[in-house]
Amino acid sequence: MQIKRKNFIRGDVAAVPPTVALGALNNRFLWAQAADFDSDVDVLNYALTLEYLEAEFYRQGNSAGLLSGKEMDYLDAVQADEESHVSTIMQTVQKLGGEPVAAPAVDFGESFASRESFLTTAHVFENTGVQAYLGAAGFIQDKAILQAAAGIFGVEARHAAVLGNLLGLEAEGGVYMGATETPLTMDEVLKAVSPFLADAGAMGDGAAVTL
Amino acid sequence: MTSNQDQIFDGKPVLQFDNEHDRRSFLRTALIVGVGAGFVGYAAGDPTSGTRSSAFAGNLAQASVQGDLDILNYALTLEYLEADFYTQGVDGGVVSGRELDLVTPIRDHEQAHVAAITATIKDLGGTPVKSPKFAYPNGTFTNRGTFLATASTFEELGVTAYNGQVTLIDSVDILAAAASIAGVESRHAAILADLTGGDPFPSPIEASASMGAVLKAAKPFIA
Repeated sequence: MQIKRKNFIRGDVAAVPPTVALGALNNRFLWAQAADFDSDVDVLNYALTLEYLEAEFYRQGNSAGLLSGKEMDYLDAVQADEESHVSTIMQTVQKLGGEPVAAPAVDFGESFASRESFLTTAHVFENTGVQAYLGAAGFIQDKAILQAAAGIFGVEARHAAVLGNLLGLEAEGGVYMGATETPLTMDEVLKAVSPFLADAGAMGDGAAVTL
Repeated sequence: MTSNQDQIFDGKPVLQFDNEHDRRSFLRTALIVGVGAGFVGYAAGDPTSGTRSSAFAGNLAQASVQGDLDILNYALTLEYLEADFYTQGVDGGVVSGRELDLVTPIRDHEQAHVAAITATIKDLGGTPVKSPKFAYPNGTFTNRGTFLATASTFEELGVTAYNGQVTLIDSVDILAAAASIAGVESRHAAILADLTGGDPFPSPIEASASMGAVLKAAKPFIA
């Protein structure tokens, strides 16, 4: 069933699936502003793209031999988390009968020139991941998927905080980003990560995730 | 529309639920995919739906608000505990240097969470629970190790508590607010694990815990 609605979200007449409509109408958060996702598979493929990016980033960064001791152990654990997220999300998409998006081609530029550039870029990735999950959470319909997304979101927040601390950043604004996390829309997230995509136009699969 | 939804819209619900969880699960699903869509259609003037009584939809909304209020008051109780704990710890000077720099914003966050949740409960027409009186083992605010270990316990408890309510919250606004707080508790948990020599990343997907399990764990600290 599709409901034709006027002037609620985009100021035009759009056919929006009812699942998105209620969330959007009720919501004062950023995710209200964009009817980005038609299904849980769409949300998951969006998350999968970001997780691919993170997993590959840590694979390359941890191979560069920039870290040692506790730092190295921490970043190895972070990489393992991201790889686990990739496989969990892929399996979930398949279980829902969807097609997991392919991994994007990436280019991390000078990110692995030094310990500091590696950790600084990682910190940006993790904070963006936190904001992406928060921005997309309201679109998830399936309770089990929402539960898993919340659990992944929290892990990304853990990564972000520890990276901020390893960098010796100010506690507030570096380790913590305020008393509440701030969501980002899909457009904002994709804009933030686009410098790392080697072929930005090819990101995503069809309408689900496009720049 | 399925027949079940038709029955509901006629004000004659025939569904039986084995327990409260099933009822709430149904309400959430119905609000999001079925009843809610019909109600939105009605609000938008769509002639194909919304012609039935909206009174039952109103009742549904009320029931879900009460459930969310219960969850918010539960969260408020935990935030009271954390805010009190860190206020005493920071005031007592149990940590210093970088550790104090890291713990002081945590105190500020927990106090902000108390204020935000209290305001949200009032906005929804509910009554915020009063703060319990808290009691802590001797040495909590004089021994650095005890203080940080207790803090770590509270943060991990808070994380699993929020995660345990995610799928039970009806309002997407409140889900957003709760999630935005939960992520901050996750940051706290990771930093405290780091400070205490624990594991900041204990699993790739965070665990969750039921209200009963969390309150049981918090009970020793309630005087």
